[in-house]
Amino acid sequence: MRATPQEARAALDTIDRGRLRVIDEIDLPRWYWLGLAVGWIALGLVTDLGHAWISAAATLLFGAVNAAVAPRAASGRHRTRRLSVSAELAGRHVYPLVIASLVALAALTIAGGFAASADGARDPATIASLFVAVLLIFGGPQVLAAVRRRVVRTATR
Amino acid sequence: MTAARFDELIHPSTRLSLVGLLAAADWAEFAFLRDQLALSYSALSKQLSTLEDAGYVVIDRPLRDHRRRVRARLTAAGVTAFNGHVAALRAIVESADAEQARLSNA
Repeated sequence: MRATPQEARAALDTIDRGRLRVIDEIDLPRWYWLGLAVGWIALGLVTDLGHAWISAAATLLFGAVNAAVAPRAASGRHRTRRLSVSAELAGRHVYPLVIASLVALAALTIAGGFAASADGARDPATIASLFVAVLLIFGGPQVLAAVRRRVVRTATR
Repeated sequence: MTAARFDELIHPSTRLSLVGLLAAADWAEFAFLRDQLALSYSALSKQLSTLEDAGYVVIDRPLRDHRRRVRARLTAAGVTAFNGHVAALRAIVESADAEQARLSNA
């Protein structure tokens, strides 16, 4: 052993600081949240056109595009192209959490649409999707911030 | 569980920071490492070359967006050496803490 206890403590602190810097990178790319919000609003607009088959096709297209990009973009490990956070550090719960949030927001959109319709709104689906789009843009990064705090607690335990 | 093994090559502060960052990532771009460690291009290149020569790091140069990027990642040998070094550092600290506790109780 070639370090004093003080040197060993300092070295372990250095390693912890590096890990915290990488934890700071756990996030989703900004374009993913924006893309979801734009897609959500587009779906609301299409739904209010009143053509069931167009709504169904648009929903399928939205789901297919999300299914294609989400496994990588929503893993929380590739906020930028500069770094890939290790799966061990980021954990495997970010992607399921994002998908569960999207399912909950879909339910919220439907409920909001019915509520707006009952209130006599002309474009209930658009109103509901606008509300959810705002939630996505401002709430999405907050959810990931909570994930980072949880990872920090786990990593420093 | 990784066997404790103090690694002289990893232990110097800059290299320890570099390997610590890489251990938390699958890979990191040269620019990210340079920004995080506040090193010059040549200083970071030198440190990475030393680790690459030891078989601890692999440098990839993927072509993306018509630009060649430089990525570094730890090899399996690098991960093993890093984990062994961390275990050795913890052992030193734990041993010192135990000795301190023994002296306090005496």
